Amino acid sequence: MLKYSIRRLLGMIPMLILISIVVFSLAKLMPGDSLSGEIDPLNTNPEYIAEMREKLGYNDPLPVQYFNWITGFVQGDFGKSTRFKIPVFDLIMEKVPNTLLLGVTALVITYIMAFMMGMYSGRRPYTLGDNAIAGFNYIMLAIPSFVAAVFAIYIFAFQLNWFPFAGSVDILVERGSFEYYVSRMHHVLLPALVLGAMSTASYTQFLRNDIIENSRKDFVRTARAKGTPIKKIYNVHILRNSIIPLVTFLGFDFAALIGGAIITETIFTYPGIGQLFLESVTSRDYPTLMALTMLLSFLTLLGNLLADILYGVVDPRIRLD
Amino acid sequence: MASSTTITQQKKPERSLSPWQIARKKYLRNKMAMISTFFIILVTLMSFSAPFIAHLLSPLPDVSKVNIGAMSIEPNSDHLLGTDKSGRDVLTRLFYGGRISLLVGFSATVLVITFGTLVGALAGFFGGFIDSILMRFTDFVLNFPFLVFVIVLNTILFGIVDGLWVLIMVIGALSWGGVARLVRSKVLAEKENEYIMAALSIGCSPFKVITKHLLPNVVSTIIVQGTLIFATMIVIESALSYLGFGVPQATPSWGNMLSSANEPDVLQGKPWIWMPPAIIITLTILSINFIGEGLKDALNPKSLR
Repeated sequence: MLKYSIRRLLGMIPMLILISIVVFSLAKLMPGDSLSGEIDPLNTNPEYIAEMREKLGYNDPLPVQYFNWITGFVQGDFGKSTRFKIPVFDLIMEKVPNTLLLGVTALVITYIMAFMMGMYSGRRPYTLGDNAIAGFNYIMLAIPSFVAAVFAIYIFAFQLNWFPFAGSVDILVERGSFEYYVSRMHHVLLPALVLGAMSTASYTQFLRNDIIENSRKDFVRTARAKGTPIKKIYNVHILRNSIIPLVTFLGFDFAALIGGAIITETIFTYPGIGQLFLESVTSRDYPTLMALTMLLSFLTLLGNLLADILYGVVDPRIRLD
Repeated sequence: MASSTTITQQKKPERSLSPWQIARKKYLRNKMAMISTFFIILVTLMSFSAPFIAHLLSPLPDVSKVNIGAMSIEPNSDHLLGTDKSGRDVLTRLFYGGRISLLVGFSATVLVITFGTLVGALAGFFGGFIDSILMRFTDFVLNFPFLVFVIVLNTILFGIVDGLWVLIMVIGALSWGGVARLVRSKVLAEKENEYIMAALSIGCSPFKVITKHLLPNVVSTIIVQGTLIFATMIVIESALSYLGFGVPQATPSWGNMLSSANEPDVLQGKPWIWMPPAIIITLTILSINFIGEGLKDALNPKSLR
């Protein structure tokens, strides 16, 4: 197990190097460069600009530039944002807690909703309630996340006034106070609901089908024959077995959450990694753009790896080698 | 005597249905799939007839012109769905937008299916070295965070090539991985059959074996997958356009129309501008999914409906 994980982790390195080359080439292909962010914007003397250009290495051959960038990158030096004039690392670190909060809340919502609906449907398959849940899930699968987000803002933020429609925290509350955390939760709930609802449908259907399948197995018949209450059979015997495959979804969710976060954060103007990424594209903030693309690629790879490893952990019959 | 005539009558050769006829019968009996098919045909017809019927729909048939005198009009008898903030008729734009959204979705799907099938069939059929090279390449593409790279690539190529085709090529180039994997696994299973061996032993070229023997047997899977990809592509197009990284802003597409919901006052107070595209996108996706499910059922010889 450990050996497999280590080998897979090492296997990620060539992949990351390839991605870094692609990212670097793409950034160089984009119009303009990040020079203007590094120099004194008031000094427009062409000689000064040329000198700084030479000094900062913009005239070096591309392989040298790549090498300089990647050595700095692995040491945690992501460069300086041309837009905010602060190190990219600090910029990203400032937004990470917001995205993390959004992602974790979304996951919690997914699990709670999927469990309630999946267990109900699995226990009473082909009834009215089950069909209603299936229909609801079908629509949730079809409705694109950004359409769902727009409707959510319109209904819950504007018509019902239950949630704020933008930002991550009320600006009036004092940082660190109890109200501050309440306000943050209040702000994160609506985007998290939209983001979490995306994967709820597939989770629910999976759990339902697994419960139905398990309820026909021998161990359930044995338990019934011994007189175990139906409720206990479903909540203990079957559920334990049905949760296991669900765990593997976690890894894939990782990648889905990254894509989802870009859209959701932008629509809700929620200051997180996804929104920072889109802003860095529009404002041609290359150091930020490159660092974020690398980071998001790394997380996607990590998510896929996690899915594979979890697969082996929860089901010992699958040999990883 | 009488009994012999009945026997000859019974013996009258009755042709059994071909697999495609069975599939068609099953599909025609599927209500949801049929309703969805009609809906999609209707949307397609309306979208592609937009230039011819635009002047019938509203007094402002030109979707690219800004009309200062007719900004943000609520739905009325002149403008059935109202006008947007630039004074353009929403209904007319909806028709024109469908053209772009369906075109982008369809072209990208064709691209993805063609390339994915090619890679998957080659990797599955030849195996060995070619297989591992092609599959490493596929893994590489699949491991990219899709949305991130589409946005970056689209920004680079924007302006070099016509906007619409950039989008089609970029989303096509980054999403064929899944199809390639699927086709490869199907081909791997299919090529173990004796008829492939027979075809090879009488000297059929690999090209002929793949196109004449292997692909017809995996085509049902590809069709079903293609339908679902079509839905995904429409979502991607509209999501990107919504974010401002898709079809150029001046071109009406469903995503571009929906992006007006980015302005809080439109979102809050002028729902007639953003609701029609939102609803039609959702209904289109829902219908395509139903069609996909219907095809899956119809083309599966084991399903008994």
